[in-house]
Amino acid sequence: MYPNLLAPLLVLVACLLAGLAFVALRQPVSRRLAARQLNRRRSEAALAITGATLGTAIIVGALVVGDTLNFSVRQEAYRALGPIDERIVSASTATGAEVAARLAPLRSDPRVDGVLDARVDQAAALNAKGDSYAEPRVLAWDIDFAQAAAFGRAGGPSGLSGARPGQGQVVINQPLAQSLHARAGDPLALFLYGKTYQFLITRVVPERGLAGAGLGAGVNRNVFLPSDVLETAAAAADTQPRAATFVSNRGGVERGAALTAPVTAQIRAAVAGTHALVETPKKSVLDAARKTGDALGALFLMIGSFSIIAGALLLVNIFVMLAEERKSQLGMLRAIGMKRSRLVGSFSLEGSAYALAAVVPGVLLGLGVGWAVALISAQIFRGWSANGSGLAIRFAVTPTSIVNAVALGLIISFVTILATSVRISRFNIIAAIRDLPRTATRKARRLTLVAATTLAVVVAAAAVPAVARSQPESTLLLPALAAALAIPVLRQVLPARSVFSAVAAAVLVWSLAASVVRPRMFDNPSMAVFVILGVLVAFSGVTLVSQNQAAVLRSVRRLVERPSENGLAVRLAVAYPLAKRFRTGATLIMYTLIMLVLVLLVEISGVIDSSVATNVAQATAGYSMRVDVNPQDAAPTLADLRRSPDVTGVTPLASATALASDPGHRTTAQLAAIAVGVPGGGLTSMTFSSRAPRLDSDRAVWDLVAADPRYVLVDQYFGATGGPNGRFYRPGDTFTVTNPRTGVTERKTIAGILTSAIAFYPASSSSGTVYPIVASEQAVRTQFGSAAQVGAALVRTRPGVDPQRLGPVLQARYLSASLVATPIAADVRRMFAANTAFFRLMQGFLALGLFVGITGLGVVMVRAVRERRRTIGVLRALGFRARTIERSFLAESAFIAVEGVLLGSVLGVLTTWLMYQKSAAFDGIRSGFPIEWLTIAALAAATLVASVLATLAPARRAAKVLPALAVRVAE
Amino acid sequence: MNALLLAHQVRKVYRNGSVAVEALRALDLTVHPGELVAVMGPSGSGKTTLLNCLSGLDDIDGGRVEVDGRDLFAMSDAERTAHRARSMGFVFQAFNLIPVFSALENVELPLLLVGTRADRARARAKEMLARVGLANRVGHRPAELSGGEQQRVTIARALVARPAIVWADEPTGNLDSAMAGAVMDLLCELNRDEGQTIVLVTHDAAIGQRAPRLVRMRDGELADDLRQHAALLAG
Repeated sequence: MYPNLLAPLLVLVACLLAGLAFVALRQPVSRRLAARQLNRRRSEAALAITGATLGTAIIVGALVVGDTLNFSVRQEAYRALGPIDERIVSASTATGAEVAARLAPLRSDPRVDGVLDARVDQAAALNAKGDSYAEPRVLAWDIDFAQAAAFGRAGGPSGLSGARPGQGQVVINQPLAQSLHARAGDPLALFLYGKTYQFLITRVVPERGLAGAGLGAGVNRNVFLPSDVLETAAAAADTQPRAATFVSNRGGVERGAALTAPVTAQIRAAVAGTHALVETPKKSVLDAARKTGDALGALFLMIGSFSIIAGALLLVNIFVMLAEERKSQLGMLRAIGMKRSRLVGSFSLEGSAYALAAVVPGVLLGLGVGWAVALISAQIFRGWSANGSGLAIRFAVTPTSIVNAVALGLIISFVTILATSVRISRFNIIAAIRDLPRTATRKARRLTLVAATTLAVVVAAAAVPAVARSQPESTLLLPALAAALAIPVLRQVLPARSVFSAVAAAVLVWSLAASVVRPRMFDNPSMAVFVILGVLVAFSGVTLVSQNQAAVLRSVRRLVERPSENGLAVRLAVAYPLAKRFRTGATLIMYTLIMLVLVLLVEISGVIDSSVATNVAQATAGYSMRVDVNPQDAAPTLADLRRSPDVTGVTPLASATALASDPGHRTTAQLAAIAVGVPGGGLTSMTFSSRAPRLDSDRAVWDLVAADPRYVLVDQYFGATGGPNGRFYRPGDTFTVTNPRTGVTERKTIAGILTSAIAFYPASSSSGTVYPIVASEQAVRTQFGSAAQVGAALVRTRPGVDPQRLGPVLQARYLSASLVATPIAADVRRMFAANTAFFRLMQGFLALGLFVGITGLGVVMVRAVRERRRTIGVLRALGFRARTIERSFLAESAFIAVEGVLLGSVLGVLTTWLMYQKSAAFDGIRSGFPIEWLTIAALAAATLVASVLATLAPARRAAKVLPALAVRVAE
Repeated sequence: MNALLLAHQVRKVYRNGSVAVEALRALDLTVHPGELVAVMGPSGSGKTTLLNCLSGLDDIDGGRVEVDGRDLFAMSDAERTAHRARSMGFVFQAFNLIPVFSALENVELPLLLVGTRADRARARAKEMLARVGLANRVGHRPAELSGGEQQRVTIARALVARPAIVWADEPTGNLDSAMAGAVMDLLCELNRDEGQTIVLVTHDAAIGQRAPRLVRMRDGELADDLRQHAALLAG
């Protein structure tokens, strides 16, 4: 993942390491101090390494997920395409012969190492052994096996070799064998052009290269026929099979794809005027692989970034506590003349050693996380496709991702450690030696004051146009930054608590309300917006609570002030977090941040689940089923279907492969699309999420599309490449639609955005995303001519008929027409279930961050026991029982966890609700906002139990502190 | 008069690997109600160990310790803790106040531990702080008090639950001589006026000689047990 980041990241890491090496060489005292400290507290060292390990593991895991997705989609190119770089499809054998003749010179082109002509058409098959396993979607091929074996041989095996099947024999590929439960020696009935032909299967070939070739579907079920059988069968039905010419560029799968542009240009020039369709399947698949890998990797990195922030906070907390423990010795070192920069150097060296020690375990753990995510993703992706033809996930790791992840992890750790070291090196020497509490200074240094105030003004000024234009990141970040930079100047006139509270409240309110005040902010959302939003809400929320803990605790005062031993334990448990605001705040942020995002994901899952019924209604619009048929048999099949007693209506859909520009202007590349023509007045029940100006009803939109061929309909996912949904285009926007066979391009205007266009997506899963453009049948036929064929229809069933039961019945009845019936409601439900499963996967990935938070709490408590040994001794001397001490520590961790979990949950629900009101990310799934009490409660309970368990060991250690030893003063 | 504290043949051995150091060697000591006993001795003589063992803060390796008629080491840890809460108060050299509690909260702690009602505990703690001259510092946290003030809070905390015995380990060790004198005045006054039994450990001869009874320790044994004359004390 991200090969373009490799060089800058490595340069940055090299600079940081060089800086550390310089410090180590030039500052022997700092080096010695760091080395001794590393050795001194092994458990602390282990905890610091654990924190850095988790951060690295999360980054490695996210990038490995991207690698795996990228590799899995790429495998499609190897599996189904092999040497095939270009595909030229002609509607008839005659055109195919013309195309083949024109492409003959390519055979001697040095960039090309194979040109193969084939005949192909759609068929259906039945295992005639008596098991009655049938497959309606079969491609019947007439290919010369000898030529096929030589096709693209320079780049490796072509996938098809050996003897061509003799008369009465066929060779089938693995997917077809699987569908039919067939093997070599089984009889096969093939439905071809309305007639049945009997064959014997002689071989089953793996789905590789030519054996897996198709015309654009993700999985191809191929049967290879004896010579001339296909043409004879077509002639008997007074038609011609389609012709396909495959071209292999010189080199293997990846190198061959690099030659696609020049070879395709030459092919297009050669076949100009033949109306043959020139496609670049391998490049499309490889581009799709990169996009899918990048999008999902970025998604997991975005989700993981919250855990990474938690990991960085854990490091901050550990270092602040280590500095606290070493306060007096650090004070002494400063007193005897050690410069502050040397203290920073010593801490930086120590911290960097932890970060470097975390690299190997971090990578190993990250690989494990990535593997687990890939494993679960495989299940989810299978759920996304009805016929199990979804992407097959295969685990993969690239060295680039590992190096990138390690470099990123090290940079985050180094920067965190450096910033923390600078902060902790600023102390009053006498206060440190005498262990006096840090006193807040009101006066900032003049230079700091002037710089911060100037920056605050500049950032505030920059925020005005950004907010006015609803720029997503800047709208959130700049006002918050301006408020934060104003803190030094505000502290000149107001007490610290008031200033921090006011700024935190302002940032919190703005972060939450920004999407309401500037609703267009989420029209073009990036992953970064959600990270910024989560971080701002969590940090400001925690700061506000931390500054006002006393007010928050007023509500539980009655419990705290109980005059019992347990009451005292609770009082103690609450007193320490209140007194140690920084470390409590850092731990609270870890909990709040992760819980906020977890709850946000839970709520989004809830919103999706609750919108299933509405979406089913919108997607079906009265139609219960989509049927796809062989276009050759469409007319008689659909006519017969209309007469079925179970069917009350059939609306045929004419469709043609198309290319389109992106109406949202996200890319200049042409998008693969399918133009779907609906008969005038055929569809009026489908609704729109938005309509063009002056169209005051859904009916008016349908009427406009039927009457004017310039108007089309799309859904909100047109051109989407993953990531959060947005409003990239609106009704009234225009874009171009091109007939790829003729090159004829027309400008179309969006008349409306369909609430759901699921019924218009092609049934057979394509090797890439194909976006539907709905127009009138006449408009599609005018632009696409004979390429526009009726190959699908929307079917209304009689009330009481279960489409899921009717589907298989129709498929069996119309097997010879290759009919595939898809119950729309079940399809929507399956897609929604898969989406929910994906959100669960993201929740699981994010839960790693919760583990970081719980570890952080454990660290705080381990340190607390060591720090409070004397206090524990006094309490034991005064009469506190050991188990009360234990309870006090457990109550303290529970208090922090409860506060973090509550704050995160409340902010999570609030953030999701506000986004739900206005954000485009929720377009199409607004059917009420459920609060997932049960899931949130379970999540909270599990977090609390885990937190208390993490504190059990230090709490028990505290209970075992011997009072005499703890209070002892050396004699 | 019945003894308040009875220590009989008390032994304490510190072991560090193969090395064993006998800190208390078959030590006998009896303290009666109302006594102010100062334990003195050179560094390493076992003063603090004696205090820790007699108060039940530390375990013993032999012998018997009775406080208020009850054998400390025949009790479970929980019973001993409860007994400590009811019958003992402690003053340490390093003050050892709870840093996150105010002076008032520190002082009311022993009362709340024995189940006193919150309002009564608070009133009694205020009264006690006033008694040690800190009525105007009740809301301050330890870090906001001087060393002498902190030690007075510690004394108030030790006495607030009216314990049978107060153990004081180098109560003036961290204070200057003027402050140390004032703290000692307070302890003597409490002993004299309220009959509070106090056992204090000190290495400061000036402090030790102000106690009516002076016990000297050497190498884990009692070397002297002197009852000093009131006139001498006054002088």
